[in-house]
Amino acid sequence: MKPELMTGNRAAASAARLARVDYVPAYPITPQTEIIETIASWVREGTMDSKFVQLESEHSMMTAAGAASLAGARVFTATSSQGLLYAMEMLYNVSGWRAPMVLMNVSRALAAPIVLEPDHNDVLAARDSGFLQLHSETCQEVADLVLLAYRVAEDRRVMLPAIVNLDGFYLSFTREKVVLPGQAEVDRFLLPYDPPRPIRATAPVAKGSAVMEGYLYSYFRYNLHAAALRAKEAFGEAAGEYQELFGRAYGPVDGYRLEDADYVLVMSNSFTTLGRQAVNRMREQGVKAGLLKLRMVRPFPGEEVAALLKGRKVAAVFDQNISPGMGGIFYPEVAASLYHLRGRPEALLPVVGGLGGKQLTSDEMCQVFERMRAVGKGTAKPDPMFLMREEELSKAKKALATAGVQG
Amino acid sequence: MILRVRFHGRGGQGAKTASRILGSAAFGGGYNAQDFPIYGAERRGAPVAAFTRFSDSEITERGFIFSPDVVAVMDDSLVADPLANPFAGLRKGGLAIVNTTRPAAEANGGRDDVTVITLDLTKRALETLGKAVLSAGIAAAVARSAGIDAEAFVGGLVDELKEVGLSDDVVSKNVALAGAVYDELKPVELRTEELPAKAELVPLAAVVSGDGSEDIVNVGNSASRHTGNWRVTEPVIDYQKCTDCMICYAYCPESAMSVGADGRIAIDYDNCKGCMICQAECPLRAIGSIMEDRR
Ligand code: SF4
Ligand code: SF4
Repeated sequence: MKPELMTGNRAAASAARLARVDYVPAYPITPQTEIIETIASWVREGTMDSKFVQLESEHSMMTAAGAASLAGARVFTATSSQGLLYAMEMLYNVSGWRAPMVLMNVSRALAAPIVLEPDHNDVLAARDSGFLQLHSETCQEVADLVLLAYRVAEDRRVMLPAIVNLDGFYLSFTREKVVLPGQAEVDRFLLPYDPPRPIRATAPVAKGSAVMEGYLYSYFRYNLHAAALRAKEAFGEAAGEYQELFGRAYGPVDGYRLEDADYVLVMSNSFTTLGRQAVNRMREQGVKAGLLKLRMVRPFPGEEVAALLKGRKVAAVFDQNISPGMGGIFYPEVAASLYHLRGRPEALLPVVGGLGGKQLTSDEMCQVFERMRAVGKGTAKPDPMFLMREEELSKAKKALATAGVQG
Repeated sequence: MILRVRFHGRGGQGAKTASRILGSAAFGGGYNAQDFPIYGAERRGAPVAAFTRFSDSEITERGFIFSPDVVAVMDDSLVADPLANPFAGLRKGGLAIVNTTRPAAEANGGRDDVTVITLDLTKRALETLGKAVLSAGIAAAVARSAGIDAEAFVGGLVDELKEVGLSDDVVSKNVALAGAVYDELKPVELRTEELPAKAELVPLAAVVSGDGSEDIVNVGNSASRHTGNWRVTEPVIDYQKCTDCMICYAYCPESAMSVGADGRIAIDYDNCKGCMICQAECPLRAIGSIMEDRR
């Protein structure tokens, strides 16, 4: 197909259409609404053959999505931020039901205070829900990961729902080049959804029953965990086939200029592009900088992270999220992956930045590398960095003064 | 010294309250105490368990009691119930107090290394309270056997019965019932020994199945779970009076009424839970009740 300029939201909707989804239960929320508006208009004009229903809340939307998936429909839906949290109770149910639907989350920071721009506290609140999670850096990745998500979710070894994450604004409303896969190839890659025991009046089956005993609950939870782990293998196979068909290679993680890198920045989602830019600038100055992107977040690619960080001097984990009272959410996950590794980096620097979509300059990102180098030389401690530029703080102070906030 | 008591009862018989009465009594008597119940979403008549620990030093245990010194079995039907399994883990030399009309030798769960005391608490409860609520009686039996003094026991009993909102009149009836049980028994010298038990842990791989979904394919299997043994009282139709008006059929919440081949209304005792709604609704008073006897 011909390259087109499109937003991440349109790329998501396009991938849903290519996946020939049967059912789209929807509820609007900024910055996601464009996805369901696009789908609604395609369904109305007859260029997309799906049933589109607007529900009365994200909670009902997720319930409808899970139930339809159990009935054998391929289901697509989308939400963001507060909407994801409102649906949260159902996320745990839908994964427990083993309903392999795909949910787009368009990241937006959580209230309060209110902001519309992204960070990843919304999608990471669903980290332990049993949904697989794939996070995208580019609009191209959005489209490709939706198709991969269906393949992996519906794999008989897995049978789990998946979230594909894209950042609000930085992807959702950003138009950039996307090459959509052709329908004929997608049809070869993604066969019609054929679950083993769909709910049918003629073949009754009970799903998600009350078990009421801890040992039975444990049985099912352990199996859910094992299924999530098997998703890595399923992803590997699917990604291999995807590459053959469409020429784009996707792994659970993505390395950038890692060959001889001593200082490695670990990050995820759209700001990774800014991380790459910083790597290039550092390289120009002769610093052996590299980057490790987390694409698959659940299952967590701990082995891949360990393999790519082995032998590095210092690594930093850039968290665009914050767990108050702890710090970044990815940091301990990366640290745990390295704990038993011989030859692990001598220090792991925690960095929190980009909260609420706080913008990041290239120089700011380079300073993360500078700190890594200082830590490596023993001239600085790996104290957590919380990125905030001076001019941002003075702007904030001005605003606070205007508002009469005592600072 | 620590004493671990496991109560086994049916929902509605007062196992939880009994465990709390014993807990409060022991606490009032100067011991450290801990009590807690465990139950699912099941209703009246389903097997439930409750636990009380008391000790003259700090209690460093919590949760389910796997190795009790004392088991209190509040319903005869539970003795041989594989799900309730009340004698499981009872320490060698331990004590079982069983509410039954059977002699001790028949209600010992096959254990000849424990002391068994049997009492017909249901009869006493029906006579004194008018219903088969056994918390006061069973708590009295355990407290006395365990050597808790009378004043502390009555204090705990009254506190807990008031806590569940009983009137002064009902509380004093319970105190009378409990007092009679208490006075009849003597403290039992307990020297218990834990049964050997090794936990064999299985690896995750043994738990993981290729599928492991929650799908229940053998649907309708609730029919294989007979809830009739939840019954304490049993409805009996007097066919001389019954006109087959089917009012009881309409009211039975368990669909345990059916029309037999002879065209007459009949009760499915495998599933009747003994709620006695049919008795209350029958316009001809054609349904009587008898105490369940599961021998
Ligand atoms: S309600 Fe009474 S009279 Fe009517 S069918 Fe039932 S037992 Fe018979
Ligand atoms: S007691 Fe009567 S109403 Fe209650 S379950 Fe039994 S038959 Fe049905």
